[in-house]
Amino acid sequence: MTPFLEVRNCVKHYGAIRAVDGVSFAVGPGEIVGVIGPNGSGKTTLFNSILGQIRPTSGHMEFCGEDITGMSPLELARRGVGRTFQTLQVFGKLSVRDNLIVAAQEFKGTLPARLFAAPDAGLGRHADEMIERFRLQHVAHLAAGSLSYGQQKLIDIAMAFMPAPRLVLLDEPCAGVNPALVEQLRELLMQLNQAQGGSFVVIEHNMDFIMRLCPRVICMVEGKVLAEGKPEEVQSNRAVLEAYLGN
Amino acid sequence: MKLGPIALGLALVAIALAPLGLKNYGVYLLTLWCVYLMAGMGLNLTVGYAGQMSIGHAAFLGIGAYTAAILMKMGLSFWFVMPLAALICFFVGLVLGFPALRVQHHYLAFATLGFNVLMYLFFRNEEWLTGGTFGISGIQRPGLLGLSLDGSAAYFYFTYVSAILLALVLWWLIRSPWGRAFAALRDNPIRAESLGVNIMAYTLLAFAIGAAFAGIAGAYFAALVQFIEPAPFNLSASLMMLLMVIVGGSGRFFGPMLGAAIVILLPEWLRFMKDWYLVMFGLAVVALMIWLPGGLLSIPERLRRT
Repeated sequence: MTPFLEVRNCVKHYGAIRAVDGVSFAVGPGEIVGVIGPNGSGKTTLFNSILGQIRPTSGHMEFCGEDITGMSPLELARRGVGRTFQTLQVFGKLSVRDNLIVAAQEFKGTLPARLFAAPDAGLGRHADEMIERFRLQHVAHLAAGSLSYGQQKLIDIAMAFMPAPRLVLLDEPCAGVNPALVEQLRELLMQLNQAQGGSFVVIEHNMDFIMRLCPRVICMVEGKVLAEGKPEEVQSNRAVLEAYLGN
Repeated sequence: MKLGPIALGLALVAIALAPLGLKNYGVYLLTLWCVYLMAGMGLNLTVGYAGQMSIGHAAFLGIGAYTAAILMKMGLSFWFVMPLAALICFFVGLVLGFPALRVQHHYLAFATLGFNVLMYLFFRNEEWLTGGTFGISGIQRPGLLGLSLDGSAAYFYFTYVSAILLALVLWWLIRSPWGRAFAALRDNPIRAESLGVNIMAYTLLAFAIGAAFAGIAGAYFAALVQFIEPAPFNLSASLMMLLMVIVGGSGRFFGPMLGAAIVILLPEWLRFMKDWYLVMFGLAVVALMIWLPGGLLSIPERLRRT
């Protein structure tokens, strides 16, 4: 099977610091892969290298057989690669509904055509469906910046899925989220994976969440892949236990 | 029925009736308010909606005014010259947008400031084209369907209706998907780009469209004052326009309308204070910035919160 995303020997150095040090992995179509590792193990730097936020020192990345090494976030978004960030990244002054519409509107028609398009760019119904899926109906018309952290987190994730991306990289979706919302989030991601058929790569520190969501897990330590396999295999790997999970 | 549309309708009628009770100078000030309103709406798009910084907007007003003055003196019609002024400013604005792709905030402010100084020097020194400090005089006011707009009231109504039409264009623009993309660019450009928003295109467009509004305002300004020289397009004028946007409420549709009224009309109302009127105006602005950084239109929000 041709991998959807293939990362080969990705390296990112900051002077003498080897933030990412020769990481290789592949993600298949529709697959959900978890990335775990202690703080400073290079997970977010790896994401940023794949997603064009930073330029990797060396390495090669392919998406659907196309070389995407060093591509800008815009070019990747146009190819169907979405992401969320470690910190909240919503458009604070826009309403929740507008946040969702803007997340997908740029994929509809050309730039001049969008000037003359309907105000909701024909995405109103889709945005409402997503609002319902994420149970945000009661705040749909409020400014996103005025909502609670958990609600903004949901908006942030919903935005990434609005254009139905083929690949989504989620950076700590559970960070700062209460346990009840974590379970809701896991269910939502499972539903979206089935409904949209995209592949997900998820960085997360919540072990229960990642073990129940991802059929395959990669553990990174000091910029390298320490272990890779099924959740239970990684969880019982001695090196992983020593480096990350303790005893 | 909502209170907003009724209040807007009443305000529009009140402004339309105002010249009936005003002398020539009062009508001139009202027309000047309309002109600065047009330019202010453009600056509000660039600064308020798209989140870019510009303290060079008066340069575009100047480009529009000089384009109109020079070409109208050559005998060309206002109706040809006005859109041409907008088009020239659009392209110059597009070029000025490029620094915004590399720098932001105060660095961008200084880049636009440099542009304003450059244009001011051009207006002052290129005497062969602009008349230098002697300026260009004898600029004719346009006619409309055979009607003369020479009278101060006639020219006011012409400018007033034009400003309303331009406001409708801005309203349509900010409600379109472009308007939403401008807001995304302002709130979080990194996130916007990850969602496919072409931040380069929208940054340049924000500058270019804002500049085109000022270009149109410049053409109306030239025909209003009928004599132009470099002084109204210097750095102080740019700061005054930025003040209009901020005092009214940056990123709020009616912000420049209120802001332009405060900046143009308040000093005149304070003239009874004689030598103190500019001091009082300055103090009023300082007080506003301290207690209402979101502008006058943020008052209802502040009241709701308290």
